[in-house]
Amino acid sequence: MPRLWRHALAIVVPVVGAMAVLPALYGNHLLLFNFVVFMLLAQGVNVIYGFTGYLPFGYVGFFGTGAYGFSLMVVHLATPPLLALVAGGAAAVLLGLLLTPLLRLSGAYFSIANLAAALAVLQVVSNPDLQDITKGPYGIALNGIYQPTLAYGVALAILAATLMTVVYLRNSRFGMALQAIREDPISAGMAGINVVRERVIAWLISALIAGLAGSVFAWYVSVFYPETVFGSEFSIFAIVFALFGGPATVLGPLLGVIILYGIYNTIGITTPQYFQLIYGLLIMVLVLFLPNGLASLLRRWGIDVP
Amino acid sequence: MFQKLVCGLGLASIVALCGAAQAAEAPKEIKFGTLYASAGPFAVISMPVHYGLKLWAEQANAEGGVFVKAFNKKIPVKLVAYDDQSNPATAATLYDQLITQDKVDILITDSGSVLTAPAVPIARNHKMLLIDQTGTGANFFTADNPYIALMSDPVSTIWPKPLADFITHDGPALGIKRVALLYSTNDFTTTQANAVRKFITEAKAGIDIVYDQGVETKTSNYTVLINNIRATNPDAVIELGYDGNDIAFLRNLQDSGTKFKMVFCIYPGLETNVLEKNVGGEGLQYVYTYVPSSEIAYQASFGMNLAQYKAAWDKKYTDGKVEFGFNSVAGYTTGLVLEKALSVADSLDQLALRNAIASLSGNLRTLDGTFAIDEMGAQIGEITPLGQLALDKDKHIKFVTVYPHDVATGKAIYPAP
Amino acid sequence: MLIYSLLAGLLFGLYFTLIGLGLNLVFGVMRIVNLAHGDFLMLGGFLAFWLFNLFAVNPLPAIPIALFLFMMAGLPLYYLLVPRLLAARDPEMLSIILFFGFSQVIEALTTIAFGTSERSIPGIELGRPVAAVESWFAGRKVAPGPVTLFGQTFPAAWIVSAIVSALAVFLIFLYLYRTRLGYLTRAVMVQREEALSSGINVHRVSAIAFGVGIALAAISGLFAPFMLGSITPAMGVDVTIVSFAVIVIGSLGNPLGTVLGGVLYGISYMLMQSYFSSWANLLPYLLLIAILLVRPSGLLGRQVRRA
Repeated sequence: MPRLWRHALAIVVPVVGAMAVLPALYGNHLLLFNFVVFMLLAQGVNVIYGFTGYLPFGYVGFFGTGAYGFSLMVVHLATPPLLALVAGGAAAVLLGLLLTPLLRLSGAYFSIANLAAALAVLQVVSNPDLQDITKGPYGIALNGIYQPTLAYGVALAILAATLMTVVYLRNSRFGMALQAIREDPISAGMAGINVVRERVIAWLISALIAGLAGSVFAWYVSVFYPETVFGSEFSIFAIVFALFGGPATVLGPLLGVIILYGIYNTIGITTPQYFQLIYGLLIMVLVLFLPNGLASLLRRWGIDVP
Repeated sequence: MFQKLVCGLGLASIVALCGAAQAAEAPKEIKFGTLYASAGPFAVISMPVHYGLKLWAEQANAEGGVFVKAFNKKIPVKLVAYDDQSNPATAATLYDQLITQDKVDILITDSGSVLTAPAVPIARNHKMLLIDQTGTGANFFTADNPYIALMSDPVSTIWPKPLADFITHDGPALGIKRVALLYSTNDFTTTQANAVRKFITEAKAGIDIVYDQGVETKTSNYTVLINNIRATNPDAVIELGYDGNDIAFLRNLQDSGTKFKMVFCIYPGLETNVLEKNVGGEGLQYVYTYVPSSEIAYQASFGMNLAQYKAAWDKKYTDGKVEFGFNSVAGYTTGLVLEKALSVADSLDQLALRNAIASLSGNLRTLDGTFAIDEMGAQIGEITPLGQLALDKDKHIKFVTVYPHDVATGKAIYPAP
Repeated sequence: MLIYSLLAGLLFGLYFTLIGLGLNLVFGVMRIVNLAHGDFLMLGGFLAFWLFNLFAVNPLPAIPIALFLFMMAGLPLYYLLVPRLLAARDPEMLSIILFFGFSQVIEALTTIAFGTSERSIPGIELGRPVAAVESWFAGRKVAPGPVTLFGQTFPAAWIVSAIVSALAVFLIFLYLYRTRLGYLTRAVMVQREEALSSGINVHRVSAIAFGVGIALAAISGLFAPFMLGSITPAMGVDVTIVSFAVIVIGSLGNPLGTVLGGVLYGISYMLMQSYFSSWANLLPYLLLIAILLVRPSGLLGRQVRRA
């Protein structure tokens, strides 16, 4: 069986299956939902950073845009949620298109500019001058479409699609092209890869993933303020989870989410006052001692990480 | 006769069994679930509320617990509290945790609208009554959702009424015609600004709003804004923001040498100690603000009054890290309302509790004033009157209530010298 | 209103120049994105607060104290964090995450130590030195208070911080362009590997630059209680973003560029506050993106963009 399908069976099926079954065993469904959301975000970061080498420090911009795209369709046009989800994803992709010039920038500049872009979108959305459209600082309250079970199911479907996408990237020429661009864009260009086109596609895929995640998050949470869906914690966590697990693999970000987000929630319930301190130290230790993630550790021991 | 005996015995045994069953059903503790923020932007308003609630719980347990009418006995309270670090997404999962894993009997929110918002749909979905401590977002209270009740702050659409009424009723006589309105663009203060604007324009008392601007909540420098306001020559300046905004505004006012005839800010009333430490007594003199329940000795028909509560607070919380003020009273008030509700509710069923709380409306007088909620659960009582700050002989801040006249303790000094 | 905004923007912008100066040095020399920059500023603010409250030390004499303390802290911090970081595959990106973690640690420790409430220092403290200078010039006693410049009144703190900032720019300029160490620093800024191979002790030069960088952040923090209203442990994050906007607008490695960036930011911010107040905070982000897209080397710089 080709590697792609082997990986798909070995990873995608168990993960999605497990997340589908867990709500029957564990009552805090919102927690499980958040796990799914972070898996999506970590994989999204994986696509644009792990494979393509651009660190999206403002990744939450797409997440929030998706959330607002979804919500505004529901609030203003009374769209059914599934259709509004498509709109949310489209909104994020549009923002991605708008921001493609940023891809010309190198390394740190790109990250800072991306962060500035996300903050700029937050400013626009929460401004009272636009409140007739975006409801400004009052936040969104979606009435009448609250269906947590359906939303969770849809989130799982999006997760399956995302994981399949990453599996594809891991096992295809396109994915290899992206990694080549990450390592050395000039050589990649000379080897015949259409650098600009490939990275824009990766960028838009990454935006779409975050947009859909944001839309389904808005659907599940249904009452939120702009700061909630544009909070920088989403970007930071997604990046750290992807990094910890191991960029450019399928399993890496999933491991990162399960382990680190699991620790986060456990600390939260046991020793909250040192929360920020423990997490900050963890991030620092991670970068200093395991900069290529857990996957690199496993690879060093001879295990091939999908 | 033998039949009567049998019937009598039968009845007696049934009654005994029922009594025994009821006593066996009574839980050994009532679980109160809540969240607090120990760090992040909302910690300043969250910790005092949490400390107030904790104090109430300890006191209640010291007396053997709260009297629960449903089981006709006193049951101790267990407070289960998690830290959400001012992060709404974390708060959401923790609220869900409290409901589904800890299976709390009563769900209480964290402080402020941003951290209350995530709980509203979760509580509604699980059919749990949400005890909203200080979250005044108008979005939360809708006619089709009975699972919410606001404990302490009056809802922001009516909170500024005493201020607006002072300007429209007393203002013209004092010479107030031009008003400048500066507000921070977040739910809480923008709603208050809208309310002020509405009350002033509807009153048709000849008051003009000559400056009306919103600024981002993160604004920390008001020097240019103050200059622009001054250019419009206002008779009264209303600045609606969070404590950081008020501190920056009042300090910049002092430092720039500008003097306005009347200045109103919210947080000199709600977090007086913090403001006094940062702005100083001189900078707060003559400033108008809301008079919080932590400054008015309301007649409390239930629970401790202000003096007793402050003494208990000072005794319990000696490290001075959490400030005593309006928010600390709010946390204690939550406990009081719940205690009273449990003593009149027929069962621990969530809607029964809601009805019990609604029945207290207008009748419960605590150190926070008169508790009153409307049919959507929004607080319409516990209104804070308008006051002006003055320096007492020790150069500390004290409040002079100036409006409404029936509760006034002094006259407004206008214009500020 | 216009004149006031322009002048205010100039003065306020110079303060942001001071803030950006340290970041410029660190980013220029080590290509490290110091996301903890705002937190060092916050630490400087708390230093000023405690020095004032415990020892009645005015912020101005606290400058040398801050300089010394933070340089002493910066050197070991550099050796602890940076060499390992630079050995990794993607140091620039990883530095973002590392220093973000560091900023969380600083914030957490400060919150645990001091709590979350706002702190300030009375504005009159910086008014005193200005009044002293004014009295000396005028030949009579002048009371501390706001200062009048071109007919517009500003808080005394703004004048003081503008002067300190100008002085700092001048000193950094001297350091970079007139001292041997500065010469070596500029070499490292331009091309790190070549500097290494020509015998320069790159780590030592970088460590000193790092120390100076965070010391500058701390010094600008000494003025934060006056310029930014009040200080709290969580204030660092927003300041960091704006500082990046400032240094990017100017250019990397050139202190004069930071002056331009700061002033441009200050003036546009104040103008926005006057005319479109609710959009004022959108400005630094838009400026940042615009400059990066149109002229990524900054208004005065020569750095080149990738691909």
